[in-house]
Amino acid sequence: MDFDFSAVLDSWQYLAGGLGLTILLSLLTVILSLIFGIAVALGRMYGPRWLSVPLVFYIDSMRAVPVLVVLIWIYFALPIVTGISLPPFWAALVALTFHICAYVAEIVRAGISSVRAGQTQAGLVLGMSEAQVMRKIILPQALIRMLPSLGSIVSITIKDTAIAAVIAVPELMKRTETVSGQSFRPMEAFTVAMVVYFLILFPATRAIDLIYKNIAYRGRS
Amino acid sequence: MSTVAAQIQNRKNADQTPVVEYRSIRKQYGEFVAIGSVTARVNKGEVVCLIGPSGSGKSTLLRTTNALEQIQGGELLFDGKPLPASKAGIRQVRQRMGMVFQNFELFPHKTVLENITVGPRTVLKVSEQEARKRAVALLDKVGLADKADKYPANLSGGQQQRVAIARALAMEPEVMLFDEPTSALDPETIGEVLNVMKRLAEEGMTMIVVTHEMTFARRVADWVVVFDRGNIVEQGPAAQIFDNPQAERTRDFLSHLGWDG
Repeated sequence: MDFDFSAVLDSWQYLAGGLGLTILLSLLTVILSLIFGIAVALGRMYGPRWLSVPLVFYIDSMRAVPVLVVLIWIYFALPIVTGISLPPFWAALVALTFHICAYVAEIVRAGISSVRAGQTQAGLVLGMSEAQVMRKIILPQALIRMLPSLGSIVSITIKDTAIAAVIAVPELMKRTETVSGQSFRPMEAFTVAMVVYFLILFPATRAIDLIYKNIAYRGRS
Repeated sequence: MSTVAAQIQNRKNADQTPVVEYRSIRKQYGEFVAIGSVTARVNKGEVVCLIGPSGSGKSTLLRTTNALEQIQGGELLFDGKPLPASKAGIRQVRQRMGMVFQNFELFPHKTVLENITVGPRTVLKVSEQEARKRAVALLDKVGLADKADKYPANLSGGQQQRVAIARALAMEPEVMLFDEPTSALDPETIGEVLNVMKRLAEEGMTMIVVTHEMTFARRVADWVVVFDRGNIVEQGPAAQIFDNPQAERTRDFLSHLGWDG
């Protein structure tokens, strides 16, 4: 069988639009997961029992359920149960964030725990409150220490956005399927998608590693 | 030789309210008694050194001073008043006490200058400009004016500890607490830290110093408290403790360290 990429490459603008949506969905997911992940980790570590118990349940259940199931449930079952119906893009964003956030929360928790107690004491003896110590002293160091793990989260998120295709979010994967169907060139279409994902992800993970190597000393107390 | 009462009378600023007063302090971790019952005072402008073997309770006592450790018995007075019970009250007291740790505990994500300004900026709400000005002056004082924009990781242990002293001084404390400030240092950098502390003492700073540096204690301390197994075995002027110790335990401890007067 001969490969013929011409039909696929003719659709580059259509595919590029899909890639744009993939990147947008990934960025929003990572940012929201980081914000909520920090909140969940802090709630689990320092919150009252009535808060920490359900948060642990949430984290454990998200790690036990495939993200595809979460997505389908939020898109199809949530409207039936609650009457709230989300458009595909927003359903994908909620599902991905809900899922990724649990992993981020665990990374944040490990990062905070790894900063030694002396750092907290050094902040406290200056007269800082516990909240100020967390915000100014502990979290910044923890975030630097977490960078390699957050790099993995970024690549997992970008790859996970491909599942949004099942609810017809017009991101890279969905548009690849469309091109594949219209051109009768599935091999070529998915090869292009593979190369594009790789070209985005490979430099992204390398870049995060490089940044970490250059600032790791700022997280070492 | 003078009596104990006369010695206490002769202490620096003995007629004024002590900066810190420990009254029958007791500290336990569960069943373990870290401090049995300790009574001591620190007058304004005095350098008080706490010495004794490891695990004898001297660091623990120091850490009760700013409530890093809670006491189970007795009373701790700062400036004549008991330590407050509320978190806000404790924060107020901590602002007036500086503390230097064995492991420096500089903030690795902040530059040297930021390490010194973060306390005044965050806690005292001093303006950026004012905090920087003060930090630069303090860095000059500890001989590290050229390191302002470096990160702690780029400094030697001795330099880090001098920055830590500057960080504590930036809060303009009424008393400085030193918890074995030279124990984690290479021998060749110990001197630079002790020199900074000595100059601070000469300027009249009230200091409580937990240390194994006997030469420093002998030369700089006004008053020396000797600990063993959670209690004070002896306290007195440095000259007495080192040249004419009264307690058998003090003589043992000093001879173990190779102190020959």
